[in-house]
Amino acid sequence: MKLVCKVKVKNALGLHTRPAAAIVRLLQPHKSNVMFTYRDETINARSIMSILMLAAKKNSQITITIEGDDAETTMTHIVRAFEEEFGEK
Amino acid sequence: MYLVQHFYKQHEKALKLELLAGASGLKRRITKAEVQGPGLSLAGYTKGFASSRMLVIGRQEMEYLRELDAATRKSRLASILSSTTPAIIVAKGCASPKELLVLAEECGISVFKAGFGATDLIRHITFLLLEEFSPSMTLHGTLVEVFGVGVLIQGESSVGKSEAALGLIERGHRLISDDVVRVKKREGASLIGCGPELTRHLMEIRGIGIINVAHLYGAVCVRPNKSIDLVVKLEEWNDQHFYDRVGLDEKFIDILGISVPYHVLPVKPGRDVVLLLETIALNDRLKNMGYNSAKEFNAKLLETISRRQKKRIHHEARM
Repeated sequence: MKLVCKVKVKNALGLHTRPAAAIVRLLQPHKSNVMFTYRDETINARSIMSILMLAAKKNSQITITIEGDDAETTMTHIVRAFEEEFGEK
Repeated sequence: MYLVQHFYKQHEKALKLELLAGASGLKRRITKAEVQGPGLSLAGYTKGFASSRMLVIGRQEMEYLRELDAATRKSRLASILSSTTPAIIVAKGCASPKELLVLAEECGISVFKAGFGATDLIRHITFLLLEEFSPSMTLHGTLVEVFGVGVLIQGESSVGKSEAALGLIERGHRLISDDVVRVKKREGASLIGCGPELTRHLMEIRGIGIINVAHLYGAVCVRPNKSIDLVVKLEEWNDQHFYDRVGLDEKFIDILGISVPYHVLPVKPGRDVVLLLETIALNDRLKNMGYNSAKEFNAKLLETISRRQKKRIHHEARM
């Protein structure tokens, strides 16, 4: 199954090291292939360095593409993490 | 989108560019990797003139313009400027006519003075623009230079790409980029990989965190870019899969339309991945020197077999 969803970076500091680590951690138990697209750049969301390279600031829009058997639950978790601002304010 | 201001910022020093007029034109787009001397068009023949090319005005064109009267000069210059002209670059030692600067301001086209003659400028700029417009993509993988060979290590997350790269660095090889590699096709024939500026020379090692390899091991173990000469895919050992045992059939992978030698390297405890990567790189060098161990051995084997066969026929004939 393939799911595509657009999310907004809501936390003030943008996608810095801690949110990147949080994303990688939450993806660990999931099997699906997760890609982020930002500014014409598509990267593997399981790689911290790739997420950091995006240097996405607050309010930037990221397209999440998930492909795999557990795409739905993975998407729910990841969208929630973005919504909850990775526990930051 | 590539704008004149990007070009100016990137190459200001190398081309010794100086903005003479038309600062508002810095926002214009450069859409083609093409440069042109307006020569014939300045003489009034504008049929087939490609207006979206960057213009380089040299000494001969300037001399010609000087000989014209002011009104003709203005109309001829106006005929080569359009809404899509990215910018005008005036060669070294040429004084720009007043009309050109006024027109440039009016039309909003940047005019630069450069530190090179027209021929050199056309060559330089074409090369720079071709580089900028060459096809590129971002790959997930780690690029290292092993014995002078650019090896792109790919594989699933956590298979050990970064650890393998760290092992190679420790043995004196070089890191270009970990995890994210920007690949560019150069001159339609080769691939160049580099790391994104922000994460350049950084590695993420599970259990340690983010480390800066250039700081830890010194400048000798990193380099900014390198050709991608072969791709090695690391994967977990799978008993059901049959791995290449002889190396007679070479596999290739397509990256931006270029075929790159491709190896699948199974990983399991006890296999020294670093040593194996070094061996693959060395074997690749040997192949490029014209020696293919597997093919050479096979040829020798076939020769031995055919010799034995001949001997046997000879022996049977005598009986």
